Amino acid sequence: MSTLFQQLVNGLTVGGIYALIALGYTMVYGILKLINFAHGDLCVLGAFIGLTVITSLGGASGSPEIWVVGLAFVAAIIAICCAGVVLEFAAYRPLRNAHRLSAVVSALGASMMIENGIMLIWSPQTLVFPQGVLPQISWHVGGVVITFTQLMIIVISLILMASLYLYVNHTRFGTAIRASAIDQDAARLMGINVNRVIVSVFILGPALGAIGGLFIGLYYRQAVFDMGWTYGLNAFIAAIIGGIGNIPGAMLGGLLLGLFNALAGGYISSTWQQAITFGLLIAILLVRPTGILGERVAEKV
Amino acid sequence: MKEQIYRWAGPSLWVLGLGVPFALSANWISILALFAIYAVVALSQDIVLGRAGMFDMGHAVYFGVGAYTTAILNVTYGWPIFWTMIPAIIAAALVGGILAAPLVKLRGDYLLVATIGVSQIFHLAMVNNTAGVTGGPDGIFGVGVPSIFGHQLISQGNEYLVDWGLLGIVLLLMKNLEHSRLGRVFRYLKEDELAATTLGVNARYYKILAFALGAGIAGAAGTLFASQLAVVSPGAFVFTESVTLFAIVLVGGQASIPGVLLGTVLMFVVPQVFRELAQYRYFAFGIGMIVVMVVRPQGIWPRRRRMG
Repeated sequence: MSTLFQQLVNGLTVGGIYALIALGYTMVYGILKLINFAHGDLCVLGAFIGLTVITSLGGASGSPEIWVVGLAFVAAIIAICCAGVVLEFAAYRPLRNAHRLSAVVSALGASMMIENGIMLIWSPQTLVFPQGVLPQISWHVGGVVITFTQLMIIVISLILMASLYLYVNHTRFGTAIRASAIDQDAARLMGINVNRVIVSVFILGPALGAIGGLFIGLYYRQAVFDMGWTYGLNAFIAAIIGGIGNIPGAMLGGLLLGLFNALAGGYISSTWQQAITFGLLIAILLVRPTGILGERVAEKV
Repeated sequence: MKEQIYRWAGPSLWVLGLGVPFALSANWISILALFAIYAVVALSQDIVLGRAGMFDMGHAVYFGVGAYTTAILNVTYGWPIFWTMIPAIIAAALVGGILAAPLVKLRGDYLLVATIGVSQIFHLAMVNNTAGVTGGPDGIFGVGVPSIFGHQLISQGNEYLVDWGLLGIVLLLMKNLEHSRLGRVFRYLKEDELAATTLGVNARYYKILAFALGAGIAGAAGTLFASQLAVVSPGAFVFTESVTLFAIVLVGGQASIPGVLLGTVLMFVVPQVFRELAQYRYFAFGIGMIVVMVVRPQGIWPRRRRMG
């Protein structure tokens, strides 16, 4: 029984990370109908930038002060937001009226560029995060171990998701985002600056993604240049499970996928875990392509 | 006059290619042999993606099914390479058709995502040594060379000619497909599925057929790939390979034979030539893909509008 709860805690942690990354996919898809294949790699770039800040300012002792960790997050967020906006301007905006596959290839190219750029700047090898970046505290609750890192990831993910939800649903600009997702032309006629909305989506998504990427690094304590595909695909699946283009859907999908992966890996087979995840994806696409919460995009299927 | 040049340029280039083993170094022969194989796979991807308009991002799977079929039959059961090509084509076409049967009802990005999933599952299945026949992460070693009338085609030049021959056959096939009823049906389905359906086209049937056809041709290329490299391992059929094939068609030009061949040269031959710069090549590739798409969204050498 305690194994089950342990898997639930682990799954919730990873699920929170997936959800943060999935939001970037789903917001871009909601407005541009584009799978931003570069998003996963942007998140990994965030992890590497954060790691560099921690190792260069944290000293050799390996347990940096709290402001260094905070600075790592801020640096990663700012850098990835800039990268996201540059990406939108250089690779996606010129293709907005082209065939949609052209934008897909552009996104794949961007992904390849960022991934290999990370390899060239940092290292082709796996980099290890220092041991004591976060307090090494853990709590034992009836046989279940919860580490400080896990608790932090779960709590911060939930706070960020709740804030995004409130922002999108209860502010003027959030309404503009939702309106642009439903119908760009109508939104433009209503006086919404759709280009600004698109840029904002390429700021919000990468910001959350950078946090997610740094969480991955802190949780698994390692980062490798090509891990963007793995986490990106998982987060993307999460977005689809919840209903691509649907913001609460991505949150729910991320948490569910995290739990599902943890349980499938723990109880069915760890070597087949990824295949099980993709099997689930295909099954969901065939049975309910709009995902759990996605009603709106039904006609796109 | 211009038409004449267009018509004869392709076949002349192919005939010229037959002279490669006698004119170029061993390094070039092996690069061009692999070019021929990948060109066949890219052309088969184009049937599904460029001609029938289905976003298939798992095409390396069918290529892999063909290669693994050959490797298993040749290494474990001692079949001659050429004989394994038939089951390789059938196996790949079957896998393509059976997977497509449920998947073709998905449209656009949803199909793309589902085929990504198929690609990942295939890769994992090969790594996990499913049914104990795929050799796990290391793959299968010691695939033999083809033989004709008991005469083994050991030399690199001979193997190249076999690959070049397959490319010729597939090019003829594509040329015929372009002018056949089947080719037109694919094009109608791509341009307007609803209209095609109202004209009596069984969309589902033809979509599955496109997948099976593309997969079968990729399977044939898989046979020669296994024999050329003498080893088949999961690494050759990873998702990145599918992405590369997908990009070849889009960068070159959908449903355009010269476009797809040019795409293969750019995405496949060029990196082989600059092998010393290996670590920079995918970085440059990524930038190249963005630039080409921004400058020429329709591909470098798009399909010509038919005159008259």
